[in-house]
Amino acid sequence: MNWDWEKLQKQQQGRPGGKPPSFDDFQEQLEKFKNFKLPGWKFIVPIIILLWIASGFYIVEPDEVGVVKQFGQFNRVTTAGPNYHIPFPVESVLTPKVTQIRRVEFGFRSSGLARNLSFQQGVSREVKEESLMLTGDENIVSVQFIVQYMIKDAKNYLFNVNDPEMTLAHAGEAAMREVIGYGKIDDALTTGKQEIQVSTRTLMQEILDMYDTGLSVVAVQMQNVHPPDEVIDAFKDVASAREDKSRFINEAEAYQRDILPKARGEASHITNNALAYKEAKIRKAEGDAARFLSVLAEYNKAKDITRQRLYLETMEAILANPEIEKVIMSDDALRKSVPYLPLEKLPAAKQQPAPQPTQ
Amino acid sequence: MKKTTILLLIALVVGGFVLSSAAFTVDETQTAIVIQLGRPVGDEALGPGLHFKLPLVQNVVFFDARILDFDAKPEEITTTDKKYMNVDSYTKWKIVNPLTFYTKVRTIQGARARLDDIVRSQLRVALGRYTLIEVVSHKRQEIMAAVTKRSKELLEPYGIDVLDVRIKRTDLPAENARSIFGRMKAERERQAKQYRSEGREASARIKAAADKERTIILADADKQAEILRGEGDALATKTYADALGQSPDFYAFTRSLEAYRKGFDKNSKFIITPKSPFLKYMQ
Repeated sequence: MNWDWEKLQKQQQGRPGGKPPSFDDFQEQLEKFKNFKLPGWKFIVPIIILLWIASGFYIVEPDEVGVVKQFGQFNRVTTAGPNYHIPFPVESVLTPKVTQIRRVEFGFRSSGLARNLSFQQGVSREVKEESLMLTGDENIVSVQFIVQYMIKDAKNYLFNVNDPEMTLAHAGEAAMREVIGYGKIDDALTTGKQEIQVSTRTLMQEILDMYDTGLSVVAVQMQNVHPPDEVIDAFKDVASAREDKSRFINEAEAYQRDILPKARGEASHITNNALAYKEAKIRKAEGDAARFLSVLAEYNKAKDITRQRLYLETMEAILANPEIEKVIMSDDALRKSVPYLPLEKLPAAKQQPAPQPTQ
Repeated sequence: MKKTTILLLIALVVGGFVLSSAAFTVDETQTAIVIQLGRPVGDEALGPGLHFKLPLVQNVVFFDARILDFDAKPEEITTTDKKYMNVDSYTKWKIVNPLTFYTKVRTIQGARARLDDIVRSQLRVALGRYTLIEVVSHKRQEIMAAVTKRSKELLEPYGIDVLDVRIKRTDLPAENARSIFGRMKAERERQAKQYRSEGREASARIKAAADKERTIILADADKQAEILRGEGDALATKTYADALGQSPDFYAFTRSLEAYRKGFDKNSKFIITPKSPFLKYMQ
């Protein structure tokens, strides 16, 4: 500062003399002080005042609202764009981000650090004391979920609760445990998730509204719901047992689908064979009958001679067979001879006795 | 001219100093009371805004006007069915009467001590009346409402309003959790067994039905086959009978001849007497 420097100069000038500054010196300095001071004021004061006035300008970003306090008391809410407030110490402004959707993790930490850092894919660590919950049927289930929320009322958010984020975390945990406590473990693990999410969201919002936190719960999303590590194998075995069940059924159906067509094929084979037999038999009979009738027609024309011819031809064919022994014997000789048949000598080659020829 | 300026300046500085020690602001999140020589001034606490006090003889004590949190340590509680559980609760409270609060509790720390005493004992009393599953499940809200109501009554004389006592966590001690895990495991094993044997049952049922159907299909085919064969045989028999019936005599003759032809084979011995018609012309 100008006058300070001058004063210092003066003091330094006076010092080599060795005598302390007298009242005259002080008077003199005062005069100088006034002389140097006054032109400074003419510039500095307006500049300071201008700067002070200018410090009242502030910009509210599109995702923010401005909350203006006058002497600490809530005065007004301003919207996005440039705004002005009476500078310190009369008014001050806070600009919370009201459109931003924030996120809290329950039962796990994706970042491994604080619970409301932004989401990172992959790494996540279960926090068992938060995730393990008792269900209404006295089972324990591990529920990991996130809550998305935003500020719906900036004034309430800023002034009503001493730590809205922590309040939200507490409310989230209490609400989820209450909802899980009403239900059964299977609801949480399988089909009931949607309902649990909705109920938890509703209950959380009720709690937060009761405290006037100014927060709005956008969504509750269950991330990873599983049985506790101690029993997870048994639960997985149930799933594979269910698979086994359908596998057994499928195998049986495959067996069914294998043997029935085969049986139908076989059945068709059997009936077709029989049909073939039937048709063949009929045709054979018809053929035989036709042949017989043809021959009969000719026979009827010349009965005796045909009869004679057929007889002789047959006898000839039989007797022409060189393998047949022929003995011609008169009736007398036959009558006189001992009726003896050397049966054991008859068949030389054959083991079986030949049928006794008769006529 | 210059002297008046100096005097004005001095007056401004002194005035500013006095004013700044007399004026104070109370934030939207606060209430305040003015204490004059150890005694509160006025009947009402001060709300947010600009306020004045006498410098030096009066001082201001600020209080948080927001909803405050009291997070109790988890506590082991015995339920009426003699089960142990760790209950973790939190309490939302507020200083509603700063004057009373200042004279009776004075600080937030002091308030926490009172809250700890009262809320914990109320929780203990309330939870002891219910079974574990009632606490976890359908009686939870009732219990919380009762504890809140009672704590509110008990803390009102301290200038404190209890808004909500809420059970945050209900956990089982490790050894109880182990027995629950054992039971859960047994339940799931039973379920798995049931699924598998249901599968086997269905499988056997389907296979047996298939076998039955196959047997029936084949038997049907056999039946059909016999019917067809019978029809064939019958028709053939009729055809033969119709044809042969026209001359049974001739049929007997020709058929006999055919039978002779086929019947006499090698090693047959033929004894013929001259009386045989075959030898008619040899005589």
